[in-house]
Amino acid sequence: MNGLLRSVIAPVFGPLSIILAWQYLVPIAGIPPYILPTPTGIAGALANQWPLFADNVWTTVVEAIAGFLIGNLAAVLMAVVFVYSAPIRAAYFPVVLFFNTIPVLALAPIIILIFGLGLTPKIIVAAVICFFPTLVNMIRGLDSASSNERELLHILSATPWDNFWRLRLPRSLPMLFSSLRIATATAVIGAIVGEWIGSDKGLGALIIQATYNYQSDRLYGAIVLSSGLSIALFLIVVAVEKLVLRHE
Amino acid sequence: MNAIETKALNIGYRGPKGDHTVLSGVDLSIADGEFLTILGPSGCGKSTLLRVVADLLEPLAGDISVLGEDPSVIRSRRQVGFVFQESTLLPWRTVEANIELPVQVGRGRTGVRDSDRKRVKDLLEMLGIAGLEKRYPKQLSGGQRQRVAIARALFSEPRILLMDEPFGALDEITRDRLNEELLEVWRRTGTTILFVTHSIMEAVYLGQRVMVLGANPGRVMALRDLKGQKTPDNRCAREDPEIVNLMSELRKTLEQVS
Repeated sequence: MNGLLRSVIAPVFGPLSIILAWQYLVPIAGIPPYILPTPTGIAGALANQWPLFADNVWTTVVEAIAGFLIGNLAAVLMAVVFVYSAPIRAAYFPVVLFFNTIPVLALAPIIILIFGLGLTPKIIVAAVICFFPTLVNMIRGLDSASSNERELLHILSATPWDNFWRLRLPRSLPMLFSSLRIATATAVIGAIVGEWIGSDKGLGALIIQATYNYQSDRLYGAIVLSSGLSIALFLIVVAVEKLVLRHE
Repeated sequence: MNAIETKALNIGYRGPKGDHTVLSGVDLSIADGEFLTILGPSGCGKSTLLRVVADLLEPLAGDISVLGEDPSVIRSRRQVGFVFQESTLLPWRTVEANIELPVQVGRGRTGVRDSDRKRVKDLLEMLGIAGLEKRYPKQLSGGQRQRVAIARALFSEPRILLMDEPFGALDEITRDRLNEELLEVWRRTGTTILFVTHSIMEAVYLGQRVMVLGANPGRVMALRDLKGQKTPDNRCAREDPEIVNLMSELRKTLEQVS
């Protein structure tokens, strides 16, 4: 009974209590729906205006996934270069570090200036925002083999190729996946920030338009969908991780 | 031919501020097929000596030959196996894949053949862990993991097996059982074994000779032949008075150098 309480009842009761309070207390408190719509109001907006939402979600999905893949792939490749070449790492890691300190809100307009208003600049913003954490984690991961493991491969006269594919890469995967999990949320944020700055399509554009027009139900609907998108990407990464790291 | 021959061997680490000698003046000949145990306090260079034999470390000075060759030659011929204190099994590989690692790496890699599968099966059987092929290291006990590590070291049929406190992290019952099994493996394969340990009991029980090292500076303090106290196939009873005496004698030597 206690186990059921903790594993099922409590996790359902917690969020449900807040949604119920939101649904019934907000109107009682006299807060108008254009400031804070009720959950049923948001659900209604999502249902009634679904074609509009679906159209915009799709744009953000494409940008976020493309940015996620490109940003993380670039980070993994650069980590491999950095790990194998100390001089390149010494020369360019500070540059990467500097770029990472530029707020994404400041970087996004520059990227849009360069690449225009299509999908490309949003994909790039999403990729940039995923890049750094994965780079740092991947460098650490590739360097994380123990000295015994390296000695073992040396005794077996392993080639550098073996060292990479049989030891360093598999060793790095747990750390890679932990940064990929985080990147699922940041990729969506990157795509939405890119859309804010210059776009008429996507959840970010929808959020901006709805805010200016006091269409709060539409604004909250867009928020629900963007966090839903992050959660979906997160679950996909977790599923892939379970498959790849089944030995854990 | 002797398995290992050293002359005035100095070992340690090369550093930017000069060399740091760990163990010096080692003159040793180890016969082919011998079981030598190495006993000594921390920091005496026991593990470092194994690393020089395995070509993981170059000696600072002096000569060493392994099976009449340079250690690097023997290493590249896969004639030396190494068992670490931690099993060092790759966690993403099954037991089988861990043991087959030697045929999957290196310039002479052949890929896994049916004969390799058979060999894995035989090794697991010899070490008393048959049927664990498909398990991952996480699913094994400490003793099982160490048995798999031994199987991997034996996979290429090495002439020399180097063991660096392989049973140090195991409970006493498991350790005793593994000692027994290791002696059986040694009798069946005829491999030369160099076995580093902290345990006097283990050193005496396993070794045909025991080498005692002292620390600060690291040097060879004693080389004790036990063949007189043991049967020709290296058996003894732990409670035999002669063995008990030997152990207290070795304990005294160790106390002087620690």
